[in-house]
Amino acid sequence: MWKWIQRQASPKVFYQTCTKLTPWFLIPFIVLSVIGLYWALVVSPADYQQGDGYRIIYIHVPSAIMSMTVYGIMAIAGGIGLIWQIKMAEVVAKVSAPIGAAFTIVALATGAIWGKPMWGTWWVWDARLTSELILLFLYLAYMSLNNAFDNPRTAAKASSILAIVGLVNLPIIHYSVKWWNTLHQGYTVGTGGLKDPDMGIALGIMFLVFVLLYGALVTIKAKTEVLTREQNSRWVKDLVTGERS
Amino acid sequence: MTMVEYFSFLPFGKYAFYVWSAYGVVFITVATLFVRARSNHKKTLISLSSKYSRQDD
Repeated sequence: MWKWIQRQASPKVFYQTCTKLTPWFLIPFIVLSVIGLYWALVVSPADYQQGDGYRIIYIHVPSAIMSMTVYGIMAIAGGIGLIWQIKMAEVVAKVSAPIGAAFTIVALATGAIWGKPMWGTWWVWDARLTSELILLFLYLAYMSLNNAFDNPRTAAKASSILAIVGLVNLPIIHYSVKWWNTLHQGYTVGTGGLKDPDMGIALGIMFLVFVLLYGALVTIKAKTEVLTREQNSRWVKDLVTGERS
Repeated sequence: MTMVEYFSFLPFGKYAFYVWSAYGVVFITVATLFVRARSNHKKTLISLSSKYSRQDD
């Protein structure tokens, strides 16, 4: 098992795996995006209280969940890189950061857009909103720290420690609506908040779309990062000269 | 006339401005992520290719 992991973690095999995986993420992402958007915007009925304004949750909830999930992946991958010195784990952590930051921006922006008609304001310094904003700052700090060093290994070590420390924010985001009396509503998923089955189906499909989006982007970005890191390797030279000729 | 009233001819009426803005933000973000990822990959291939050709000369 350990040998298999080591083999998969070699830059060349990792690059080949990413190349193979990209279409497996990208094609279902495109197909499910069309189906999910149709379900979210056409099939699912209007909410009895929020009218059609609630349709924003089909992008807000998945992006918010993914903003936390990607941070978790980034911190775990960073930890693996720190402990077992697996370079490809460092690559996964590094390329996940801008994607996670984008999910966080989408969650904050769509939440603000939803908040205006429902709460009457774009923003409040509510525990859930503030902790999500801190998550964005953590992503930005991680990316800044990672770019602050010339040596990628040193950069990975420093930024991985930051990512692991920042993990403390994830339970705060998740439980903020329980621990504090917030304006933000309680959990949407798993609490029976979505009464119509079509609402649940639309949310499920859109969540899958965001997962596939992350997979597709990570595999594309990881390939670029591997090429940059391993540019002095023979296999990269063969690959690049082969692709360009 | 407010933006909300202006865009109320679109599906979802008085919520049209908010719903379409939110989906627009997602579309722009996703498109930017893909375009940047693809263009960075191409740029890397081109710069490495020219580096190797310089080394071979």
